[in-house]
Amino acid sequence: MNHNELLSALVDGELHGSELDQALRVLAENKLATAQFQRYQQTQDVLKGYAERGLSSHLVNRISLALENEPVYSQQTSQPKAEVITLPTPFWKQMTGLAVAASVGALAVVGVMTQPQNNLVTNSPMAAIDTPTAVITVAQAGERWIVDAPEIEYRLNNYLLEHNEQTGSSGVFSYARVVSYGAE
Amino acid sequence: MNVDLELVQRVQAGDKKAFDVLIMKYQQRIVHVITGFVHDPVEALDVAQEAFIKAYRAIPNFRGDSAFYTWLYRIAINTAKNYLTARSRRPPASDVDAMDATNYYDAPELKEFETPETKMMSDDLEQGIHQAIEALPEDTATAIKLREFEGMSYEEIAEVMECPIGTVRSRIFRAREAIELQIQQIMGEGE
Repeated sequence: MNHNELLSALVDGELHGSELDQALRVLAENKLATAQFQRYQQTQDVLKGYAERGLSSHLVNRISLALENEPVYSQQTSQPKAEVITLPTPFWKQMTGLAVAASVGALAVVGVMTQPQNNLVTNSPMAAIDTPTAVITVAQAGERWIVDAPEIEYRLNNYLLEHNEQTGSSGVFSYARVVSYGAE
Repeated sequence: MNVDLELVQRVQAGDKKAFDVLIMKYQQRIVHVITGFVHDPVEALDVAQEAFIKAYRAIPNFRGDSAFYTWLYRIAINTAKNYLTARSRRPPASDVDAMDATNYYDAPELKEFETPETKMMSDDLEQGIHQAIEALPEDTATAIKLREFEGMSYEEIAEVMECPIGTVRSRIFRAREAIELQIQQIMGEGE
């Protein structure tokens, strides 16, 4: 293919791959080809109302000259280097441990927060309510307070319940349990 | 892949010459846009040069999220505004939207500062180009008109004209050669 035909297609942005390579090679090696490419481009610009020919014909030379001291990029430099920070291995180990701990903590918090509201409400009062019930059950199951007179048995049970309720919150060891253990 | 993006990737890979092609491709448009801000053609060239240098320095970060020209246009506008601010001159209150910039041909606010001489020259050139196109064989004239005035791709033109893409490319090239000859005559270079 004629070089100029290649350049004409380049003006239209219709070159790719090996043809683009070829056109760039021609432009790099042949100054006449560069001038021709600029003429094609400027004709297109005039047709589109951008400019009159020749206004900035030397601009590319000026810019090329100004860019002489600029770095030539490579695949490596084209990557956003600043975003890639190499960290020592122990740092990653610490970070992994921290991440695991944070995950466990987050799961615990989420677990508590996602529990049904009813459970939260019933949990604490149940300790007070269940305790006497349990004592009654234990007492009944062990038949510790079963005596011949039902009235006496009722009173003894009440004493035990009162005692258990008071000692349950004060930290004193429950006498009822001592009694129960002692019965075994 | 878009040719501009391919050229940018080549620059990013170390091919500095590929940036020259981008300069040649867009220098007129950029100077034209900057002239709308800076007014003085000589100053406009300086600002355009600065804008292209900034673009080269920023090109490693170009990822193709927008068209290359849109990206370049923004750099040019910002450079022009900074230039005016540095000289205590007020930048225009509004400018052309970057998204419209790609197909921005006849902005009245950018034509405002055209001198009579440059206007006459560009009018003569434009007239000469149109004459050259009208003198072309019909197929060739149609191909270049669809390309330059309708902005069609070679593939679209091939579809419209029911011919291979290679034929379209060849017809457009022949049209450009004829136009070039006409322009040389107008500029007095052909003699």
